[in-house]
Amino acid sequence: MYVFWWFFAYYLRPIVKWFLRKTTGLCELQRICYGKVQGAPRTKAVDYSLCMSKSPQIAQLIAHLNDVSDNQRFVGSNLKELTNGAVNTVMLVKKINPKIHFQFVINFGQCVEQIWGYRQLLAEVEELRKTVYDADNFGHERKLQDLWEKLMPHERLEGRVTKQWQYIGFQGDDPKTDFRGMGLLGLENLLAFASDYQDAATYVLSHSHHPHYGYAFAIVGINLTSLAWTLLKQGDAKTYFFNMVKSAPSLKLFHQFYSYLFYEFDKYWIECKPKDIMEFSTIKDNFEINVRNALQDPNAVFRINFSVDTI
Amino acid sequence: MGLLSLLRKLRAAPERELRLLLLGLDNAGKTTILKTLASEDINHITPTAGFNIKSVISEGFKLNVWDIGGQRKIRPYWKNYFENTDVLIYVVDSSDKKRLEETGIELYELLTDDKLQDVPLLVYANKQDLPEALTAADLAQALGLPSIKDRPWQIQACTAVRGDGVREGMEWVCKSIKKK
Repeated sequence: MYVFWWFFAYYLRPIVKWFLRKTTGLCELQRICYGKVQGAPRTKAVDYSLCMSKSPQIAQLIAHLNDVSDNQRFVGSNLKELTNGAVNTVMLVKKINPKIHFQFVINFGQCVEQIWGYRQLLAEVEELRKTVYDADNFGHERKLQDLWEKLMPHERLEGRVTKQWQYIGFQGDDPKTDFRGMGLLGLENLLAFASDYQDAATYVLSHSHHPHYGYAFAIVGINLTSLAWTLLKQGDAKTYFFNMVKSAPSLKLFHQFYSYLFYEFDKYWIECKPKDIMEFSTIKDNFEINVRNALQDPNAVFRINFSVDTI
Repeated sequence: MGLLSLLRKLRAAPERELRLLLLGLDNAGKTTILKTLASEDINHITPTAGFNIKSVISEGFKLNVWDIGGQRKIRPYWKNYFENTDVLIYVVDSSDKKRLEETGIELYELLTDDKLQDVPLLVYANKQDLPEALTAADLAQALGLPSIKDRPWQIQACTAVRGDGVREGMEWVCKSIKKK
């Protein structure tokens, strides 16, 4: 089966492409940009088509854009310039007339912004993840304080090192060792969930204190950061990001993705009626499978539908 | 001889399966040791909610390693995993002097449990790379290991993030099982 696909991609694909080009008068990228729905269906197809391209100019263009986004320079005026440059290169290579195909210019430009914006987001997220939580860094400490204040607005923290941290689900009396491999990203995600969706977060926190189905809020939250990061890295999350915004996705959108995952995980956890926290790995694995499946649908759009119910 | 009988023959000689229990306080390095044993990436570990399990083949043994979360709230569940344990592996953060007493008490509780009677004990003195880390010998004294008479025990210095010492500890585990 695998050999068949390889054979198809390598030998037959160009023949099919040539045939379509001759009959429709449009190159593959044009057919995608006109034929596919805006968002994940179109951008993913453009991404694939560009990667498969055998043109040396396009390969060079891709390498350049990769380099720029890996170094997080795909921003501001640079972003506009590079996007225009990419569109022009493709028009030139594929001999497309911009006067007739002005719609292609817009649609393809959007795809370029999304594809390399995503790549840049991954670099940005990766940098945060690699930043180890540092108790001597005032900024880090401030964020930890903020997290407490957002989640527990009516209770004062008695000290920097206190058992109170366990109330919001850290393991011991000092959260600093709990961020581990997720680094500052784990904290930023928790803080964004608690600030941007304060109602939802406090609601989820109250579930974590459930007498039967309780769990450690922050620890589960850090494990979900790991899930969000994995989905971003492996590309499954492209569906989400390409369908959410028409331009380059921002870090804020990643936090939004995370918040969605946390909210949904909580719902799923309660539905599963776990015997105790020891069922976490099994339930988390099942949840991950569900999310991956949902992301397979190119039209999937995820939003937190927050409504308080009473159980 | 057909393919089927060949397969059957292969299946007839399975490795002996062992059940290893990996315990210790939170942030001791249990999951890092587990992942090192399974040759997996250790750069994005998160605190263990619940447990992790992995199977590793080593010296003709199939080691089923159970890594149970170490936070205080989870510790009451440890006992659910005691049954049929072949070797108890206890991981200590050698640099965490503040919680030395706490880790000692937890270890003592494990050693006095009926279900873990006679089970060999391996203590990993982890995080030897940190400047304030106690040496394996000092840690053994502090935990009172020399007074253990009812079972074989061993302390192994290690730095799990670098993979140093982890293998040596597992060699002792396999040796102590062969002796049994």
